[in-house]
Amino acid sequence: MISLKDINKVYRTKTVETLALNNISLNVPKGEFLSIMGPSGCGKSTLLNIIGLIDEPSGGQVSIDGQNISNYNSKAIARFRNEKLGFIFQSFHLISDLSVIDNVELPLIYRKVGAKQRREMAEEALTQVGLKNRMRHFPSQLSGGQKQRVAIARAIVGKPSIILADEPTGNLDSVMGNEVMDILLNLNNNSGTTIVMVTHDESMARKTNRLVRLFDGSQVQ
Amino acid sequence: MIKHIIKLIWNKKKSNFLMFLEIFFSFLILFAVFTFVVSNLRMYQSPLGFDTEDMWLAHLSFPSELDSATVADTKLRLVRELNAKPEIISVGFTNSITPFSGSTWVTSNDDNGFDLQTWVVEADEHYGPTAGVNIVEGRWFNEEDALGKYPAVVFNRKLWEEYFDEQPVLDSIYKLNGKENIVVGIVENYKYRSEFEEEYPTTLFHKPVHDAGLASLHIRLQPGTSVQFEEEVNQTIAGITKRSDFIIENLDEKRKDNSRSTWIPMITLLSICLFLILNVALGLFGVLWYNISKRRSEIGLRRALGATADNISFQFISEIMLVTIAGILAGSFFTLQFPLMKLLEVENIDYYYAMGLSALIITVLVLVCAFYPSRQAAGINPAIALHED
Ligand SMILES: Nc1ncnc2c1ncn2[C@@H]1O[C@H](COP(=O)(O)OP(=O)(O)OP(=O)(O)O)[C@@H](O)[C@H]1O
Ligand SMILES: [Mg+2]
Repeated sequence: MISLKDINKVYRTKTVETLALNNISLNVPKGEFLSIMGPSGCGKSTLLNIIGLIDEPSGGQVSIDGQNISNYNSKAIARFRNEKLGFIFQSFHLISDLSVIDNVELPLIYRKVGAKQRREMAEEALTQVGLKNRMRHFPSQLSGGQKQRVAIARAIVGKPSIILADEPTGNLDSVMGNEVMDILLNLNNNSGTTIVMVTHDESMARKTNRLVRLFDGSQVQ
Repeated sequence: MIKHIIKLIWNKKKSNFLMFLEIFFSFLILFAVFTFVVSNLRMYQSPLGFDTEDMWLAHLSFPSELDSATVADTKLRLVRELNAKPEIISVGFTNSITPFSGSTWVTSNDDNGFDLQTWVVEADEHYGPTAGVNIVEGRWFNEEDALGKYPAVVFNRKLWEEYFDEQPVLDSIYKLNGKENIVVGIVENYKYRSEFEEEYPTTLFHKPVHDAGLASLHIRLQPGTSVQFEEEVNQTIAGITKRSDFIIENLDEKRKDNSRSTWIPMITLLSICLFLILNVALGLFGVLWYNISKRRSEIGLRRALGATADNISFQFISEIMLVTIAGILAGSFFTLQFPLMKLLEVENIDYYYAMGLSALIITVLVLVCAFYPSRQAAGINPAIALHED
């Protein structure tokens, strides 16, 4: 599905040069639930962004279904993100000026799905995360756990084959964190969605198929 | 996409309202200024109907104690001696309603079976050719007109159009100014008050050259006659009339002086407008810039969800354009009342031009101001923007 080969990522600011990723090679097969762990600043988010094609590596190769993505132009990459990937972030990233249902519809807008079908798909996704009754609310009227479930609904509304989650439970207490984790496990089990999740929580990581540990930009396990 | 953007604008109506107001008021102010400028420029376009270059004008006076034979003798001598000078092409007389003098005389009656209102000028048989009026029908006055049964009149086209629908009027008799008159000709224009005036229905009444009532002397010079010649004319007139209480004016200078009183406020208003526009532009630019920097994480998110760079700049330009259109529409609702209710003495077409021009300038301004910030928004790196909070 997605494979990384010899990935390096260097951040250059005026004063310092940070090697965020150092020679990472990783293969994420279809249907796998993979978790990434490591201390703060070790490059987990950077790695996830590269897998998610929202950041470019400084060196190495990213391939999707065996195709090198350097062959893709930016439009094709945007389209790939839209159709194949779903993102979940630690800080939810809901648009505060849009209602819950409009937030969930967002990926479908860029897919040019018609308004009526958009609404139906968004309602279905919200039902899946148990929030259909809150669809007219605005993000500010929701709890943290509810916000993250909206974000999950937004990530799954387009039926992506891969979900990339960056500390999806990081801002939630353990009860809400477990709820979110259960939704992700269900998705992986029932729909066969590939999931790559960054987490700090060993217990969450243990529920996944495979664990990758990073330390200072290098893969240690 | 557009529906989505409208929803976004609506949900942010509070912050968009200020922008809306700014557009709305800018539109109203531009409309007011452009109405003034456009209507003046349109009037300026229509010709005066007589020449001002190489024309001099002297306001003489013939005291009432002089008998008419003496006045006639004096005037005829003046005409003869002035015409004899090689620098002078011709001379003619009018009453004191001379171009750019500020005086007017209006008369109205319903003696002809309909209401008729006309501005009045009296002129002799030499004035028409001297001033270079443009005859479109019939002829200018001649000496025989004084011998005819009815005094002769010449209409301007405006009067002919407005009251006679351009039907034949030559040799017809109409009662004007309390007397019956015969129409001998029609001139294209006679807009003697100002270049920035409407043409009004005007009638030129004939009086013979020796009539004491015509004391304003119009002199047409050879092109390029120097100002020194004025002294000679001055002496000739003073010698014949035995008076020195007159001045000779350059008609073209008078025209320019007269127009200046409109050009100056017009240019002042336009300059103020330009500053206003620059201010609005800077304000808009600042607001857009600020909005985009506040919405970096939204931009990052949209990119992650599959928006292309073009989608992002389209979104930002559309948002601001929709608010702009709303402001212009709201403004148009108010400004449309002016032509619909005829609130001022301005032609409707001027209002529509002013509205169109204001809308165009505001739209272009907003597009220009939105272009760079929205390109900037499109260029935001999603990984960095998402990382920021
Ligand atoms: N835009 C950037 N410019 C410069 N340096 C960056 C940038 N983004 C990340 N870094 C650096 O790269 C390294 C890896 O960052 P990254 O965000 O991937 O860490 P992380 O493992 O996700 O940490 P955390 O667990 O705290 O989220 C860090 O040292 C960070 O300071
Ligand atoms: Mg991180």
